[in-house]
Amino acid sequence: MSETFTCGDHGALVSYLYDECAPNERRAISAHVAICRACAAELTALGATREQLARWTPPDAQLGFKIVSDAPASNVLRPSRWWQKPMPAWGQAAAAALIFGTGLTLGALRGATSPADRGPAGSARQQPTATTRAANTAAVTRADLAALEQRLRSEMSLVRSTGNTGSTSNTGITIETAATAPGDARLLERVRTMIQESEQRQQRELALRATEMVRDFDAQRNDDLTRIERMLGQMDGTTGVEVAQQRQMLNYLMRVSQRGQ
Amino acid sequence: MTLTDDELVARSRGGDAESFNQLILRWERPIYALAYRVIGREEDARDVCQETFLRAFRALPGFKGQAKFSSWLYRIALNLCRDWIRRQRRAPVMQMPEGVDPGELAAERGPVESIEDLVGRRQLSAVVEEAMELLPEEQRTAIILKEYHGMTFQEIAEMQGCPLSTVKTRLYQGLTVLRRHLEKNGRMRPQLVKRS
Repeated sequence: MSETFTCGDHGALVSYLYDECAPNERRAISAHVAICRACAAELTALGATREQLARWTPPDAQLGFKIVSDAPASNVLRPSRWWQKPMPAWGQAAAAALIFGTGLTLGALRGATSPADRGPAGSARQQPTATTRAANTAAVTRADLAALEQRLRSEMSLVRSTGNTGSTSNTGITIETAATAPGDARLLERVRTMIQESEQRQQRELALRATEMVRDFDAQRNDDLTRIERMLGQMDGTTGVEVAQQRQMLNYLMRVSQRGQ
Repeated sequence: MTLTDDELVARSRGGDAESFNQLILRWERPIYALAYRVIGREEDARDVCQETFLRAFRALPGFKGQAKFSSWLYRIALNLCRDWIRRQRRAPVMQMPEGVDPGELAAERGPVESIEDLVGRRQLSAVVEEAMELLPEEQRTAIILKEYHGMTFQEIAEMQGCPLSTVKTRLYQGLTVLRRHLEKNGRMRPQLVKRS
């Protein structure tokens, strides 16, 4: 070890700090530190840092690990069993192939029992369903047609009979019916009232909607105008600042040029 | 009668699991403290500690006693910490206490230390942890091995696989960064003397 110390030799300072240097080196450093304020201050600061570090303690932890041979425990240090380990890639591939093959076989077996091979029982089971549906559809249509025919016939006869009684108007069934039946006239009146009320309600709603639209439009227009005015103001401000800066710059240049002359 | 590490190791190698358990009992706290200070996470430090002893137990037949048992354990633990840090792919994040709860502190500690002292100590620990987080892994490990495990420069050099002078440089640089951080946080008075 050297008996002289070069100021700023950090390695030697660290050795001195941790008291891990040869006696002659220690003496040399001590002699230097006594006269060099910078090295003395550095050593003091590093020592103070070490004091602060000494106060850093890790948090308490429940450890108590143990090596055990057979008994199961939470802190047992033991390798996992074969079924707990992940399956290798070839094993996974084999398993997938097996599952796929089984599925394919089952599918083929089911395909063999298609409708053609199922025999008459299968088709016989399906046929009644289709027939019933067709029969139901046909029955409904016929009944409807019969009812419709009946209704048309009665209405035709009614028209004919009212035409024979010398009705003043042939414009429509409703008017003629109203003239002939007082109960229906009341019904007609009610319907008319309802229609009028409905029309009035619709007109009111329409007016309301129109008012709302006008109000929204005005509000939006006002907002837009305010925004545009604000933007114009900002632009004016920016331009004003730039103009002022340019004016200042010009004044400065003028002053400098005048000073030079 | 207290057996030495070497004796316990010899017995363990002979198949005596109880002797190895005594070694665990002796060394689990320092290994946990090392792992915690290096990686900064309590749960992970516990896992690293457990894994260290598991690996040591498995590798015991290959341990011929070239180094001290403790140095061997430290080396395993440091390798595991390094692996952990690599897995994280970022600088280790130190667990910062989000808020100091005096009631909780008083409950978990005893009445020996005042709550003010406890709070101050916890806050200081937080500042030191924060400062340690700033250091590169090599500097941090060198400081931890030196400051908290009392290893010599030579032992640290062997542990880190670098020259003695590198260890000293790492220590100096690490301590300087820590000092600046602590000064910035008002934990130390700054030294303003300039080198002539």
